[in-house]
Amino acid sequence: MKSSFVQETGVRPAPYMNPYLAGVGIGLVLLTAFVVAGRGLGASGAFASVVSFAVNLVSPAHTADNVFYQKYLSRAAHPFQDAIFVGVIGVMIGGFTSGYFAHRVARTVEKGPNISDKGRFVLAFAGGVLMAFGAQLGRGCTSGQALTGGSLLNLGSWAFMLSVFAGGYGVAYFFRREWK
Amino acid sequence: MTAPLISTGVLDPSYTLPISLLIGIGFGFFLERAGFGSARKLVAQFYLTDLSVFKVMFTAIVTAMVGVAVLSRAGFLDMEQIPLIGTYLVPMVIGGLVLGAGFVIGGY
Repeated sequence: MKSSFVQETGVRPAPYMNPYLAGVGIGLVLLTAFVVAGRGLGASGAFASVVSFAVNLVSPAHTADNVFYQKYLSRAAHPFQDAIFVGVIGVMIGGFTSGYFAHRVARTVEKGPNISDKGRFVLAFAGGVLMAFGAQLGRGCTSGQALTGGSLLNLGSWAFMLSVFAGGYGVAYFFRREWK
Repeated sequence: MTAPLISTGVLDPSYTLPISLLIGIGFGFFLERAGFGSARKLVAQFYLTDLSVFKVMFTAIVTAMVGVAVLSRAGFLDMEQIPLIGTYLVPMVIGGLVLGAGFVIGGY
């Protein structure tokens, strides 16, 4: 089964951009966000916004006296009015556009050769749950804390960022069969 | 101080959403260009077979940091208008550890 997005022309995927150049690109995007919007980048907030909106639809009584939900509900009545959510939609558009023109759009499961698709999906879901929990506990994610707070030399952001690397290196050995 | 443009009123706040969309598009574009659309490439950082995550992340941080410092010193960007996340070291360290573990397990 082939997705309609798969390039069938036999064109090889373009090589990735030089990492330092891509880093400068992301840095300039982040700087633009500071200069224009007065805030950095974010991703995890978009998910929190959607969750708050969904819970509020089902049970307004439950969200009414909950500080977490109210924080996101007071910011935007609907996720599409939330700047971070709209930004994440932009990330999808930008990422797809870049991948499309570099012939990298394909239907595939990213994993090592020693794990089944199903196993990979289970671990992907488990990893996502951990990331969502960690992002809420740490007040941000790789975008909001590490990149944005890191560039402002925010102490908590640097503690968070170094902990992300420590956590990743700490479990990498135990999940090597997922990737290698 | 002229910037942040929306906070100082140079740009009407009604532009917030379209600007957020454009900034997101730029962010997503460079993330994919760097190869971060691929979970294997991202996770390779933690097996030390490809250090792109480290290179891209710290180049981005330094680029934005220098830009902010220069524009702020030049009197163009008002740092007071940019919100900082408070410091809560214990939850931030635990949250970071959990997120980092989830990063390798989940792949993104």
